[in-house]
Amino acid sequence: MFDPRARARFRRNGTAVAGTAVVAALVVFAVLGPLFASHDALQSDFAHGVGPDRLPVGPCAAFPLGADRVFRDVFARLAVGGRISLLIAISATLIASTIGAAVGIAAGYLEGRRFARVLDVDGVLMRFVDVLLAFPFLLLVMAIGTALDRTSAVTIFLVLGLTGWLGIARILRAKTMQIRSLDYVVASRALGQPTAWVVVKHVLPNVAGSLIVCATVLVAQMIVADSVLSYLGLGISPPTPTWGRMLFEGQEVLGAAPWMVAAPGAAIVLAVWGFNMLGEGLRDALDPHEG
Amino acid sequence: MRSIRTRAEPLPAWAWALLATVACSQSVPAPMPAAAADAPPRRGGELHLASFADIRNGLDPVVSPDGLSAGPMHLIFAGLVDYDAEERIVPDLAERWEVADAGRTYRFFLRRGVTMQDGAELTADDVKRSAERALHPTTPDANASTFDDLVGFAAYAAGKADHLEGVVAEDRYVVAFHLAKPDATFPYLMTLPTLRPTCRTAGDRYSDTWLPCGAGPFLLRPGDWKRGVTLRLVRHDAYFRAGLPYLDAVEWSYNMTQLAQRVRFERGELDIVRDLTFADASRFVADPRWSSLGVVEADVRVYGEAMNTRVRPFDDVEIRRAVAAAIDRTQYVLMQPMTTTAMDQALPGVVAGVDASFPHQRYDLAAALEHMRKAGYPYDPATGEGGWPEPIEYLAYDPGLPALTSQILQQDLARIGLRLHIKLVSFAAFLAIQQREGGATMSQGNWTLDYPDPSNVFDTLFASSAIDPSGSLNTAFYSNPALDALLARARVEIDPAARMEMYRQADAIVCDDAPWAFTFGYHAFDLRQPYVRGFVPNAMRPLDATRVWIARPAPGARAPEGAP
Repeated sequence: MFDPRARARFRRNGTAVAGTAVVAALVVFAVLGPLFASHDALQSDFAHGVGPDRLPVGPCAAFPLGADRVFRDVFARLAVGGRISLLIAISATLIASTIGAAVGIAAGYLEGRRFARVLDVDGVLMRFVDVLLAFPFLLLVMAIGTALDRTSAVTIFLVLGLTGWLGIARILRAKTMQIRSLDYVVASRALGQPTAWVVVKHVLPNVAGSLIVCATVLVAQMIVADSVLSYLGLGISPPTPTWGRMLFEGQEVLGAAPWMVAAPGAAIVLAVWGFNMLGEGLRDALDPHEG
Repeated sequence: MRSIRTRAEPLPAWAWALLATVACSQSVPAPMPAAAADAPPRRGGELHLASFADIRNGLDPVVSPDGLSAGPMHLIFAGLVDYDAEERIVPDLAERWEVADAGRTYRFFLRRGVTMQDGAELTADDVKRSAERALHPTTPDANASTFDDLVGFAAYAAGKADHLEGVVAEDRYVVAFHLAKPDATFPYLMTLPTLRPTCRTAGDRYSDTWLPCGAGPFLLRPGDWKRGVTLRLVRHDAYFRAGLPYLDAVEWSYNMTQLAQRVRFERGELDIVRDLTFADASRFVADPRWSSLGVVEADVRVYGEAMNTRVRPFDDVEIRRAVAAAIDRTQYVLMQPMTTTAMDQALPGVVAGVDASFPHQRYDLAAALEHMRKAGYPYDPATGEGGWPEPIEYLAYDPGLPALTSQILQQDLARIGLRLHIKLVSFAAFLAIQQREGGATMSQGNWTLDYPDPSNVFDTLFASSAIDPSGSLNTAFYSNPALDALLARARVEIDPAARMEMYRQADAIVCDDAPWAFTFGYHAFDLRQPYVRGFVPNAMRPLDATRVWIARPAPGARAPEGAP
């Protein structure tokens, strides 16, 4: 993104620009939406939220996106839920990216070397990754989530972050191995530069593009994972809204009150699509040879 | 790495069709065709039912029935007594009974010529053998202590006696149950499956490989119970009520989602649907073709917010009273208006002797705030200052109604300065935590009546004897010696009027002490195809298929317009 040519490539990619716009719109909605909501996201309105058929009212002036099962404003809950869902996804991605980058770069840079002639750091790290990858991601997250007190946003993003770094580690390992063999990196090492210096000066800048792309796509995966956890009842406890929990609570009345599912469903689809397109656009812009 | 480019492809036609179907599926199809309303009963046909859950505890009557096993168990095993349409106890396998020895002896005179499903005739020895099998210490049953008033029960349950002294086969067709003290609830206990006569194939000890076999109207054949999938019972041709049952078979499907049940019901593959979502039920009821085919069953389950009286802050009766007064029960029932009724006392309407005019727990916010003040934790709603200083953990299970009602409760209690932190767990974890002493500070309690007598609610939920540190049905761990004494007297009181007066006093004590804040009663809502005929309304046996028949139209009759 720092290279003007990359910026130009990104701007020419209509899908990427659209994805960025959608992500930006969702962030704005999450930040500012509650300010424009007519109701508190956590308070029921039994005076106006109950329809003549005793079902929650549909979209109307007082409830722009209708009311939910507990007769709360879906608009307000969607915005507050957006804050939480996006916060969890982005926080989890930052944790996963940090761990994934550290493990991937360490494994890739130390590949083929043994400490004290015995310890194969790359082998140990990658076998550990392989073992964790053998578990289905959601199953692993659910198992950890069930074992822990899973009622806070912090717990959720820690669980997601601590289990979501495996793919990044593999990709960055491969990228680091490639960079490590470049002539100027070999020369730098031959001149006796410390390993940390070489990593910071040469490796990190070269893997940054891949890391940003992976992280952007990972945000989308985290949104889905958080939604699935909430949908399965393993997310943040009510009444705190998350998009997945809203989806879950609305499914029972899907036929009669489709807005309860449509609003969070659309938000999840848009967010996932937006972050995926943004990530694809960044990949094409930052690494055109691979496009 | 090659880029995988994604394009914004338009949605395919099938996706639009699916979306349109979901968005516009407000109308319901017509009921399936049926014979004329005055068509006489006829033999044949099958009844198909379904549930989203599965039988948990098996079909042996000695094992506590769960919500799904009770129906099939009742059809396989007839009892000495049963309920009529007004929930009165009437003879069934017994042709009559007498009470002697000032309420300490119940003597049952069996019908002659009753053929069990193994072809043998029912005798008093079968009744005694079945009772001893059910109450034997090796039988894995939580219900045995229900019969601890039987003479000799303690010695038999401890393995110190070979036979149960209190059950005596006086001759081939007369069996007597001797009690250590009078027990007005004993006839109700005999309606439970536990002591129902079993075939001699059951032997005299419990075995989990036994094929259930009794004297009921339907029998289970080998291989007809596929655990978790289907259970099929076929007609017992030698059933003692001549001409019954009409149906060839009754079949239940298990673990079927609510959506699948609705679709299969609409297609006529299920004859009754009981697990409709509230929204789907509303749509059917709103349709004039279906409105008369919905059946609202009686409230047989009572719900309340159980407060652990041994844990702060609910060890303070004023806090409990504040909670009971702060709950607006009319809001609760909006979560499931088709199946819930607001309740402010311990007894659902199906229980005989319920006094609806009695002042029970009522919603009164000012009174609730006054109770908080008396407890020493005044709360000012205008400033939000005061109240109980710590968050209170509220245990609920998910998915389920408590996950929704807990959010209403949280708002109600916030108005009096009690802040709830909702903790959702699985149903199994919920039960384990709730029933353990100190496990849950507050949780949703519910109780499904085993029989429509006040003792089943009070003795089970609020008596000190129901407290068990490892698995307590008294989930509030509430103990009140005055209530215990009153319940003990009521249990042995033979005069119905005097007994009911005692339970009114018990109700007043429980409502005032508020170990539970009662919230709503629950009833099932059934939707039945119009060709399903013959159900006898009965709160305790809502889907008793004994007298049911299928009234399909005669071949060549025209189906109504819109029928699938």
